This record gives sequence, C-alpha cells and structure tokens, in this order.
Amino acid sequence: MTISVRDSGVARVVDVEGEVDLGTSPNLRRALFEALGEMPRLALNLRSLEYIDSSGIATLIEVLKHAQGLRKDFVLFGLSPAVQEVFRLTHVNRIFRIVDTEEQAVASS
Amino acid sequence: MTAPEPTPAGFFMHVAFDLCSRPCCLPVVRATVGQLAAMVGWEAAESRAITLAVDEALANVIRHAYHGRADERIELHCHAVEGELQFRIRDTGDPPDPASICAREVGCDKIGGLGTHIIRDVMDTVSYHSCDEGNWFLAVKRLRRQA
Repeated sequence: MTISVRDSGVARVVDVEGEVDLGTSPNLRRALFEALGEMPRLALNLRSLEYIDSSGIATLIEVLKHAQGLRKDFVLFGLSPAVQEVFRLTHVNRIFRIVDTEEQAVASS
Repeated sequence: MTAPEPTPAGFFMHVAFDLCSRPCCLPVVRATVGQLAAMVGWEAAESRAITLAVDEALANVIRHAYHGRADERIELHCHAVEGELQFRIRDTGDPPDPASICAREVGCDKIGGLGTHIIRDVMDTVSYHSCDEGNWFLAVKRLRRQA
C-alpha cells in the first residue's frame, strides 16, 4: 500500500494505492488522522485502491467519526467497482459522503 | 478477460496452507483463493467476494483467536470440486464467542464487527466448531449455473 498527501483548494487529498487489509490498515489510519489536522476537508482518493477488507472499512468509519468530532468534512471519491462491492457488502454506503471525482470532492458543498 | 469455463465433472483440487499468524501472509492466500474461485467458474466480482470472505475469516483468527500474536499457527484447506469450494481453517487460539458472530447491527457507524457479516453474506454455509485439536471454521460456496 502506498499513501501520498497533497492539498487541493480547501481540501487535503490523500491518494491511496494497493491493498488495505489487516496488515496495512494501521498505516492508513495513521496517515488519515495526521491529514485531518489542518484543512477543513479531507478527501480520500480510492481510484487506485485494489482491495479493502473490513479492517479498512472500520478505519474509514473511525476517521469519519473523528472528523465529525472536529467538525470537518471527510469525503471519499473514485471508488473502483471492487471497492464499491465491499462497501455494498458491509452496508456502509450511506454512512459516508461518496462522490465520483476529485473535482466534486474538493468543491464547496 | 472473460470468465473461465466451469470446471468439468470429476474435477478436484486441494490447496493447503500452513501459515503463521502474521497479516503479511494474507495477500498470498488471497491470490490463491481468487484464482481457485475463478477456476471453479465464478466471475470476477464473485471471486473477489469469496476471496474477501476467506480473508476475513483468517483475519478474525489473527485478531480474536490469537489476539494479534504473530508466531501462532493457522491451517487453511481449500477444496475445489465441480461447482463448489470448501474452506476449512484451524487454529489453536481462543474459541470464537458465538454471541459476537454477526452481532453488529448492519448499516450503522459502529467500528468493527463487519467481518462475520461479510462471511455469512458471501458463503452458503458457515459453521464454527471447537474441539481438542483446536477451533475449526468451515465454509462452503456453491456455484449456481444459469439455466
């Protein structure tokens, strides 16, 4: 798994590539919690994510709750069909704000 | 890539893993299970779901039976026959708590507890047994051919 962080407008964008599983989800958690620090919005780019398991989904829920506590937005975009399947299996689609593109994710809501 | 032809009558393949309880082993298992599912005849999305379910079962062993200890042992037996995949996982850690299996409410924002729901949703039959030789997880997935 590879994680990179950049800023785009009012959002901090985190790009994640590869596989998020029991072994790698702690690294994703650490990166997302750090990225939440400064900007009012955190946008997670999942376009190059090939695999995510329930530990990865749990990490995203934990980050969402933390963001809500800080009154910040947490937006997901670029979900591949494989990642969408896991969201559907875990019934978490409605919990997150999910958009198609980075432009939508960083645009003012 | 097109879906593979379903396996012929009389086909079988048994793949066994004897692995330590480290998460770094999981990608190797996932690659094999995905290829087995595709070979038996599932399309890509279904093969990914089967792979995820097996991965979740192994992750549960690492997290809940062995509490993250990395030097424990896990056996995984994957048995592919015509139109069916059977998975057996053995560990020697703490037995699963029946009250915690699929105990989480679906669709909520509770952290954790999703793995057993995935396994139940994906597999046709799932069972857990504990005995003197350890804890056994058994799961079966059957191929439903289009009429």
